[in-house]
Amino acid sequence: MRFRGGYNILLKGKPDRNISVMPEPEVLYLPLASKRFTFSEICVQQGQKVNGGDILAKDPDNYGVPLLAPLAGEIKLGAEEGYVVLDNVRKDEERADLAEKEIEHIEAKMGDGGVKRYKLLSLGAWQFFYDAYTGTLPDPQGDPQAVIVSTVSLEPFLARGDAQLQKRLLDFTRGLEHLQSLLEYQPIYLVLPDITSAFADLVRNHIRGYAWVKMVEIPLTYPYDDFGILARRLNLKRDKGPVWGVRTEGILATDRALTITKPCTVRIISIGGAGVDGPTHIMVVPGYPTKTIADKYVLEPSARLIDGGVLTGEIAGQSLGVETECRGLTVLPELEEREFLGFVRAGWGRSSYTPCFLSALRKRFREDYTSGVRGEGRPCVSCGYCEDVCPAGLMPHLIHKYLYRDLIEEADEARVDLCIECGLCSYVCPSKIDVRGELIKAKELIAKEQEEIRQEQLRQEEARRREAEARKESEENSE
Amino acid sequence: MKWLLKIVDAVRPTFEEGGKLHVFNPVFGALEHFLFAPGTRTLGAPHIRDPIDLKRFMSMAIISVVPCVFAALYFFGLRIIPMIIVSYACGLAVEAAFAIVRKEGINEGFFVTGILFPMILPPGIPLWMVGVGVAFGVLIGKELFGGTGRNIFNPALVGRCFLALAYPAKMSASWIEAGGGLTGRLLEYATAPAATDAVTVATPLSEAKGGQMCSIWHLLFGNVSGSAGETSAILIILGGVFLLFTRVANWRTVAGILLSFVILTGALIQGGAVSYSIDGLVSPIIWHVFAGGLLFGAFFMATDPVTSPTSNIGKWIYGIIIGSTTVLIRNFTGYVEGVTFAILLGNIVAPILDEAVIAIRIRRLRSEG
Repeated sequence: MRFRGGYNILLKGKPDRNISVMPEPEVLYLPLASKRFTFSEICVQQGQKVNGGDILAKDPDNYGVPLLAPLAGEIKLGAEEGYVVLDNVRKDEERADLAEKEIEHIEAKMGDGGVKRYKLLSLGAWQFFYDAYTGTLPDPQGDPQAVIVSTVSLEPFLARGDAQLQKRLLDFTRGLEHLQSLLEYQPIYLVLPDITSAFADLVRNHIRGYAWVKMVEIPLTYPYDDFGILARRLNLKRDKGPVWGVRTEGILATDRALTITKPCTVRIISIGGAGVDGPTHIMVVPGYPTKTIADKYVLEPSARLIDGGVLTGEIAGQSLGVETECRGLTVLPELEEREFLGFVRAGWGRSSYTPCFLSALRKRFREDYTSGVRGEGRPCVSCGYCEDVCPAGLMPHLIHKYLYRDLIEEADEARVDLCIECGLCSYVCPSKIDVRGELIKAKELIAKEQEEIRQEQLRQEEARRREAEARKESEENSE
Repeated sequence: MKWLLKIVDAVRPTFEEGGKLHVFNPVFGALEHFLFAPGTRTLGAPHIRDPIDLKRFMSMAIISVVPCVFAALYFFGLRIIPMIIVSYACGLAVEAAFAIVRKEGINEGFFVTGILFPMILPPGIPLWMVGVGVAFGVLIGKELFGGTGRNIFNPALVGRCFLALAYPAKMSASWIEAGGGLTGRLLEYATAPAATDAVTVATPLSEAKGGQMCSIWHLLFGNVSGSAGETSAILIILGGVFLLFTRVANWRTVAGILLSFVILTGALIQGGAVSYSIDGLVSPIIWHVFAGGLLFGAFFMATDPVTSPTSNIGKWIYGIIIGSTTVLIRNFTGYVEGVTFAILLGNIVAPILDEAVIAIRIRRLRSEG
């Protein structure tokens, strides 16, 4: 597949390359749920003193991925619903919370590779890995057909690879070597914005002689950095096994976990958007109080704090602490005033996908967006904009019409499962239809139905087996 | 403008659920949103939206027709103004009635129909016919199918088709001689010559049937008789290029129509199947492209996104069907003009084209990932 669709939204407040260090926190609020994980298995007790790197909770549904204590402190459970609160936080030497017996057991069973994977999981580096097709956490003991390493992040605004790689290039290449040692012969695709740049040459020099790293150049158009799109671009077929996707921070975490066996607790996240004073990158630990960040960076009194980018992130306004998977915070001013004769205006200051505004005559610029929908909901007029921007090659307007008529099967036929939820279809829609939301709902519905069918088949098989057994038994009895 | 917003906010309860004028809520909503952009905020991802909305989208179509409206005023006189007013009033009444019954907002799509409809009528047509035609077009062509976005046929063309079939004599007696000079007919309220005069004005295409073809330059500038807005080729091209530039109209449809028209006409002339009074190959082709409603239909009517196919390949085929059908109707039937019927035929075929193209695309998608 070639790249298709995609569109860069130019939003005001692009983070610069600097990384600021936030003041030491006194209390940490560690959310028990993040985008992919629900840490339901709590491993600590009320009032327990923990060290940095200790496992606080685990997610039993995701291979027991741990929630690590970023710093030393005292546990307070139940102080806030849905959070583990860490009080009297101190910065001590953090330790790796590894069970020696478990390691011996794994080493005996699976050898060196098994231990490395166990370390990645227990030290918090594994949570940076994604299954390229589903976006979920891949099996740490599984074997991928390929690994995609991306240094690019294109959604406005998430932590950029170039900001994180400053002065840490050596760690990065060492991390790549560690990653390779987990694999047998599978290729690692290193995704770069420009494979002829000085940076790419540096990487090439560092990894000279390693034929398993293949460099891939991608155009800097959102969302070509999505692992699902990259996997399709690289012609990796789903039925040949999983594809792991990992970004810059994941490789750096791998290096930290496997070179010096230290837990990976510090994250570099971006803070950007139209409502930010001096958009930049900040270094924080998970659970860092959101309020402290907001007080320092958010200008607007009524602004929306988004966990993630402006297209796929979730509102983080109520959240007390930074979640473990956070890659960036975007601040978006809320729409306050209704514009007088809005649609009659020439639109010199409006940055639009369509050339229907005067700004089409102007060089592209970063617009000061608000959270306004900027129009009324209307029926679809089949303008085809959503199809033009769709990076997955779907026909979102067609699927929208199917769903409007409750034709779930047809939507499934139209491959709604290939949707990567980039949000561009909703963004460009002149009828202001939330296409992304509808596609996600349809995907969930189809997945649920397929699960039900599978369960039903299992039940039927079970019944058949039992029937056969009963018959056998009765035959034996009659004999 | 805070004071105005205050008034709007104060009046709103009257039109809301339980208010006295509750039934007129759609009308109020249309007015309110004309004055003030809506204040709704996004609920979740994506948190920002593109500034394009349906109002803007449709305004582009209206802006692109404005040169043609001015041309109509210049060539055919002030009568165009009441025609536009009647078209808007009658159409809007139907639209509003359906919006009230359906409890939906009034759709912007009608404002395009309302301006396009008088442009494709003979300029001397009685005003009651304008009203009947647009009401029929909006009612049968659009509302019965479910309103904007769900109609199969272009409502303006349905209205015109109805008038052409129901009142053929009146339609053909309503052509007006185009004005010229500095002011044209700008200061006149020109009406069609009375039917009793028996002096009917002929359009260039009907003259051509009789073997008489006017100058290409007249067609280019527009001082010939014909439907109100379709005479001036150069202004239509100007508005059409604007429409293509803003991507409200898809260039594939226009290219499909014009290319197939040119190629088929050329082939017919070369093959000797038709002959015109102008010599050569290129000149008669250009003459036919400029004459009648072909350009107007190609740029403004066929490109309606709702009634044309959604897929790009479908748009090409749709264009080719319209272009070649127009050639066939113009040359081999009793009608002198075929664009209306050709586009309506294209509208009928559009869903089938979509079905076929989508089936192929889905088959290709099936092998993905």
